[in-house]
Amino acid sequence: MRVEKCYFCSTSVYPGHGSAFVRNDSKVFRFCTSKCHKNFKMKRNPRKVRWTKAFRKAAGKEMTIDSTIDFEKRRNVPVRYDRDLVQTTIQAMKRVGEIKRKREHAFWKNRMAASREKQRAHRKKALEAAKESSTKLVTPLESPESSKVREKIKVPAKSRSALIQGEGRSMTMDID
Amino acid sequence: MIGLKSTLNVIDNSGALIVECVNILKNKVNNGWGSVGDEIVRKGDVRRAVIVRTKKPVRRPDGRFIRFDDNAAVLLNNKREMLGTRIGGVVSADLKLKGWGKIASVAPKAI
Repeated sequence: MRVEKCYFCSTSVYPGHGSAFVRNDSKVFRFCTSKCHKNFKMKRNPRKVRWTKAFRKAAGKEMTIDSTIDFEKRRNVPVRYDRDLVQTTIQAMKRVGEIKRKREHAFWKNRMAASREKQRAHRKKALEAAKESSTKLVTPLESPESSKVREKIKVPAKSRSALIQGEGRSMTMDID
Repeated sequence: MIGLKSTLNVIDNSGALIVECVNILKNKVNNGWGSVGDEIVRKGDVRRAVIVRTKKPVRRPDGRFIRFDDNAAVLLNNKREMLGTRIGGVVSADLKLKGWGKIASVAPKAI
């Protein structure tokens, strides 16, 4: 059993989940959900759909060149089971994950720092433009109607339950 | 979902290119729909064939669904042996489970 990657959004597809499509040239496309399958059927390019991993990577929103990414790879060399190897692998996975998280955070911070300056400049420009073409606000006049408090008319609600007798209702069955 | 009048591509080298289904053999539970591994009868001169690929997603024992590009079949003789000698194109791996191991092994790829 393998944990595959979705063709469209590149999330992991666990055994028993998702569906696969086999093209006649025997290329297999795996999908995590019907959402991804439908998008594929619509012939959308995953690099152009904004929520996919492919887009984020192509648009420079995520780390693409890093040594921590290379650890997760499809290896076609069968390895004999070794208890120690498994243990060290699990330890290494945790450590690599930690490093990856930190690097991703640093990458994100770097990216945000660049965009913040852009945003600030944009805001400044917008503010100046607004100042130039600003109109004075006038306080609305108080209307005499609004000060009056309208009285609510209360209507006593009748209880209309089949469990209470009266009003032409009976608790017994009608017999002709 | 192969029923009466459905057309299938023939992917072996028997000579036929397209067959039309006239009957699904020995399948009383599935309301006359055939899927991978079912025997069908072909029209023209009437022959037997086995479905090897379907467009309709088929559920695998591990819970995954698998779907192909087209509906395809392989022609058989009356002894349930292949008429052709070669198969061009992928076939479903479900064939092996349903007792068509020989066809699955002749095919270049079984997925």
